[in-house]
Amino acid sequence: MKIRVAFAKEDEAKFIGHLDLTRVFERAMRRAGIPMAFSEGFNPHPKLAFGSALALGATSLREYVDIELAGEMLPSEFMHRLQGQLPRGLTLLEAKELPAHTKALMAVLNCAGYRVRVPLLLPLAQEKLESVLERFLEQESIGYVRYSKKGRQEKNLRPFIRSLRGRVSSEYLELEMEIDITEQGSIKPLELVGVLREFGELPLDVDGIRVHRTGIYIRGEEGVKSPLDQV
Amino acid sequence: MRELTPEQIRDVVETRILPKVLKPGRYLGNEWNSVHKDWSRAGVRMAFAFPDVYEVGMSHLGTRILYHLVNSYDRYLLERVFAPWVDMEEGMRKHEVPLFSLESYRPVREFDLVGFTLQYEMSFSNILNMLDLSGIPLRSAERDEEDPLVIAGGPCAYNPEPLADFIDVFLIGESEEQLPEFLELVRQAKEQGLPRREVLTRAAGIGGAYVPSLYTVEYREDGRLKSFQPALAGIPAVITKRVVKDLDRSFFPDRAIVPNMEIVHDRVMLEVLRGCSRGCRFCQAGMLYRPVRERRPETLLKQARELISSTGYNEISLTSLSTGDYTCVQPVVKSLVEEYRDKGVGVSLPSLRIDSFDVGLAEEVQKVRKTGLTFAPEAGTQRLRDVINKNVTEEDLLRTAQAAFSKGWSSIKLYFMIGLPTEEQADLDGIAALAKKVADQGLGAGRRNVTITVSTSSFVPKAHTPFQWEPQEPITSLRAKQEYLREKLRDRRLRYNWHDAETSFLEGVFAKGDRRLGKVLELAWSKGCRFDGWSEHFKFSRWLEALKEAGLDPHFYANRALEYDELLPWDHIDSGVSKQHLAGEHQRAMRGITTIDCRHLGCYACGVCPELDVSVELKGGVVGEN
Repeated sequence: MKIRVAFAKEDEAKFIGHLDLTRVFERAMRRAGIPMAFSEGFNPHPKLAFGSALALGATSLREYVDIELAGEMLPSEFMHRLQGQLPRGLTLLEAKELPAHTKALMAVLNCAGYRVRVPLLLPLAQEKLESVLERFLEQESIGYVRYSKKGRQEKNLRPFIRSLRGRVSSEYLELEMEIDITEQGSIKPLELVGVLREFGELPLDVDGIRVHRTGIYIRGEEGVKSPLDQV
Repeated sequence: MRELTPEQIRDVVETRILPKVLKPGRYLGNEWNSVHKDWSRAGVRMAFAFPDVYEVGMSHLGTRILYHLVNSYDRYLLERVFAPWVDMEEGMRKHEVPLFSLESYRPVREFDLVGFTLQYEMSFSNILNMLDLSGIPLRSAERDEEDPLVIAGGPCAYNPEPLADFIDVFLIGESEEQLPEFLELVRQAKEQGLPRREVLTRAAGIGGAYVPSLYTVEYREDGRLKSFQPALAGIPAVITKRVVKDLDRSFFPDRAIVPNMEIVHDRVMLEVLRGCSRGCRFCQAGMLYRPVRERRPETLLKQARELISSTGYNEISLTSLSTGDYTCVQPVVKSLVEEYRDKGVGVSLPSLRIDSFDVGLAEEVQKVRKTGLTFAPEAGTQRLRDVINKNVTEEDLLRTAQAAFSKGWSSIKLYFMIGLPTEEQADLDGIAALAKKVADQGLGAGRRNVTITVSTSSFVPKAHTPFQWEPQEPITSLRAKQEYLREKLRDRRLRYNWHDAETSFLEGVFAKGDRRLGKVLELAWSKGCRFDGWSEHFKFSRWLEALKEAGLDPHFYANRALEYDELLPWDHIDSGVSKQHLAGEHQRAMRGITTIDCRHLGCYACGVCPELDVSVELKGGVVGEN
């Protein structure tokens, strides 16, 4: 059977990388005595598929993973046993059995929400911020350069920004944003903040950024759904 | 350095430094099975310091054993610290964060003890760097009552002299019994408020403890040692290593820390036996860890069950210096494979010898996970293999290779050493010829596409071995040999890689060095040397500058043939193997005479068993005569 699980990635687990998370779950399931299904071949791997990757160092209110088991188990039993064996910072929220032929998480998740906190180097007025955000969102194209294993890529980040709001406190700028995940890829909150700082000449200490994912979901014509709603 | 609380350190590290470093998982300390004790309730607090990065240190079995051993006592607390990688060091220095322990993020300087494990000479500069990052004076003589005691153990403690200026106490030999004795002494000393000097003098009374500041050294004009003796009455002239007599019943943790990031040996490790009496004459571990003591199969199977259920690892490795020699290896592997086959847990055998290798066994192991095959003939001709007492033959190797190829393996790694005593051109040619013959076995087994990887390391003479009197071959001729082999090994089925000769040379200097090298170490560290075992950070020219400034000739240490009657810098450390036996073995080597393992042909009187009142323990029914 397949189980879809929602979990939170909190402060203590924020430096567990996306690839490492698979191993962390595998080992926790083995400790918990949960029968896992394995891939065939010389190097059998447990069958786990996570949703969209979360940047290293970011926390998340709600992430998803699909897990294939070698036997039957009630989702509630699964959650209870697994939670006792997960490292601190990984908290299971909900689990449901997946019907056959459910689409993979990667194929359906298309939007993510973030709350981002950036320390201010100098005071910033709320009005000034709002005018910067307004002008920023009026742009049709906002260029930025991404350096990755593929080399230097020039991209336009504007199409990925669904919404962007900000609030200034004495020490921090807090941004709420919704980012689309499309077939052309997506953007990282850190990239957006870097570009925004230059665009508005904002006094942001980007090195001190904290990124928190508030949700990742399926946005359709009827509004927003969780990948667990359909199940 | 700023005085920071653990909370302040964590805040700066997590928000300012970790987001900018490679592998932040190295510095978190919240792994599954990590032990977080109440600081205020621990009588003695020790920081276990591994002078290399996290993923290397966490792979070390001794670290795993000692971590849980010390923490199994209510009154002691042990937390880990590793060498911060260069990016982390930069961040720490920039933000004035002192070196901190992983579990509680406390400054290392607040611990009662800092214990370094000495696994290889090329980590010595990291020790100095870690002390400096901790704000602990580098030199033992400069520390005061507020500073932790700095102790060290591990294989390199058998020639402790290059570190004598920096380490307060060395613990020689196996720590399972000795370290708790030492911690008890520290606990009582703390209770009684004894001064540091008094603690050190008392520590010297513990078996296997060496306090270098309590000895005086004199040198001859030619640079050789003249005398080495205790400066106080009642201090032992010779320090004899400690051993665990009954390995089967000695402490072995039923849990292991499970890192969240990938480490080098990311699996359950079962120590099937300790020691090796094969008697390879270049091998320091073979001399230091004697005698051979095996664990019972029932003990190992029980440990495997406990460890798999407490860690969730997907692999069990049977580790030792030579697992193929374990008298119960067959039944243990079979039982493990049967028990775990359907649970996605594999079994691996990391060290296999050609003559004890059994393809049936390797097949058992391969049923769950495919592991590569590695063999170490060490030398290219039978003549030279006899000199080094590596008792394997070409026939053994070829038979094994053919069997392996016919069972489906397609790649084999072969390890050799160059620069061995008495090595000739024919021995180099022999390496190439042997590699080709092994590759040809693929054809015999009906496999066209086989890959043979030949690796050569450069021989480094080590203290406490029959070759301790031998000179190391100079860098230039080692390089010429590497170049020669590179040409000789041009074949589409062969790959060749080799170790950097400059690193081996420096390793040779420190492996046989004396106390005067402390100055070199300090100078080299101050010139920025660290992570010398990592080729991208090894700065050979800085080391040469440091040697020059200290007025020391590295060739004196590495490339000089020593006399049998010469006082050696490590003569006050007793591994149990007598110097007489080592000299005898050296002479037999020069005559090309082999010595058969005492497990097979009776005792050859190396001295360990009577000296340490311990005996060879085999669990497979065959007991060697002692």
